[in-house]
Amino acid sequence: MTHFDSQNLLIFGGVLFAIGLIGFLTRRSMILMFLSLETMLSGVSLNLIVFSRIHQNYQGQVLAIMVLTIAACEAAIALAFVVSLYRRKPTLDVLAWDELSETIMPKMPDALSEMSEPHEQFPTLTPAGLDPLSHPMPPSLDAAMNQQNSTTPANATEVVQRA
Amino acid sequence: MESLTLAWPLAQQAFDPSNLPLVTGSPIDGHFSKAMLLVILVGAVAYWCLQRGVVRSKPLAIAGASLFGLACVMAFSAIPKPTTFPEDNSFSDYLEPVVKMCFCLLAAGGGLGFIVAREPVHAALGFATCVLSTCGILFMQHAYFIAAATMIVYAGATIIIFLFVLMFAQQTKLRIYDVELTRPAVAAFIATALLITITYSVSDEGEILPTKMDLTRSRSLAAIADNPESELPPVSQPGMRKEESAKFVPSKTSGLGRAMYTDYLLAIELAGTVLLVATIGAIALAQKPEEGVS
Repeated sequence: MTHFDSQNLLIFGGVLFAIGLIGFLTRRSMILMFLSLETMLSGVSLNLIVFSRIHQNYQGQVLAIMVLTIAACEAAIALAFVVSLYRRKPTLDVLAWDELSETIMPKMPDALSEMSEPHEQFPTLTPAGLDPLSHPMPPSLDAAMNQQNSTTPANATEVVQRA
Repeated sequence: MESLTLAWPLAQQAFDPSNLPLVTGSPIDGHFSKAMLLVILVGAVAYWCLQRGVVRSKPLAIAGASLFGLACVMAFSAIPKPTTFPEDNSFSDYLEPVVKMCFCLLAAGGGLGFIVAREPVHAALGFATCVLSTCGILFMQHAYFIAAATMIVYAGATIIIFLFVLMFAQQTKLRIYDVELTRPAVAAFIATALLITITYSVSDEGEILPTKMDLTRSRSLAAIADNPESELPPVSQPGMRKEESAKFVPSKTSGLGRAMYTDYLLAIELAGTVLLVATIGAIALAQKPEEGVS
C-alpha cells in the first residue's frame, strides 16, 4: 500500500515537473516562465519528501528545505531581473531580448547567403576632369612643373634665413 | 483507428477492478504503470487540444477539457481501493488515498490551466491552485513543517507575482506574447517522453529498505539516542521482516529540526548565506540606474 502510494506520488511529482517544463518551453511572458520554474521546483521537492517517507528518515525533508531556500533566492533575483529589463524595454516578451543570445545559425537560408557574400553598395561618383592615360599632359606643362619643383627648396631656405 | 484498437484491450486490462491490487494485498504488478502511461498520453492530447482551442475554437477547447476529465477519471480508477467498506475505525485508511488523489487531480488541473490560460491573471490563479493542492499533498505525507513553509513562501511569492502581473500586464487587450506559444507540440512531446521514462523507472517492484542516518558521526542523531524525545528510525535487524519492525514516519518537526542542526548544520548555514547574497543581489539589480549610465 505504502509502496503503491509512494509510486503514485512520485509519478505525480513527475507530472508537476512536466507541466512546469511545458510552461517554460512554450510561454513567452517572462513572469509566467518564472512561475513555470517554480512549478518544476515544487515537483522536485514533493519527490524529495516522498523519498524521505520511503527511506524513513529526515534527509529528504532537509533537502526539500534547501530547495525551498534556493527557490526563494531565485524568485528574488528573477523579479529583480524582470524589473530591470522592463525598464529598458517596456515589454515582458522574452523574444524582445533575442539579440542577447549568440547567433549561431541564421534563421533563414537567404540570410546565410547574404552573410557569406555581402552585397556592399559603394557610392558612385560622377567622373570629373580628364583621364590621364587617354589625355597625357602637354610637355609645356611638364616643363613648368619641373621648374616649380627645382625652385621650391631654394624658396624654403630663403624663408628660413629671413626668420 | 489502429492505435485505438490497440489501446482498447490495454485499457480494459488496466481498468478491470479484479486486476487491481487491493490495499492489503500483493505487491504492485505492471497494471498501474500501464494505466498511468495511458493517462499521460491522454493528458498530452488534452493539453494540445486545450492550448489550441483556447485561442482558435471553442469546441476544441471543450474537447480538450473533456479529455482531461477522462484522464482524471482514468487515474482515479487506477488507484487501489478496498473492495469492502470498513466497519471500524479504519475509515480514514479508506478515505486517505481518495483525498490524496483528489489533491493530485486538482493540482494537475491547476497546472494545466496555468500553462494554457492566455490571460496572465488566470495563469497566476492556476499556479496558486496547483501550489496549494501540492501543499495539501505534503500535509497528507506528514511533512507538516515543509507544507507550512511552502504555503507561506509560495503564497507570498504568488501574491507578489499577482502584483507584478497587475503592474506590467494590466491591459484590456491581450498581448501577442501571451497569446502565442512557442512550439507547444514539441514541448508536449518532450514532456510526455520524460513522464513515460519517469513512470517506467518508478514502477519498479523492488522494496526500498529504510536507511538510517549517518550514525558514525559523534554529533549526529545517534549521539542523542538516549534522549527519549529523539526521533530515530527503527533499527531493522537482519532476521526481522519488514512488517515486524515498526514503521517510522518522519513527521515530527522536532526531529526535522534536530536533523537540520546536527547532521546538516553546514548546509543550513550555507543556505542562509545564499539567501543573504541573493537579497543583496536583488537590491543591487533592482536599483534605478544613474543618469548617463547605459
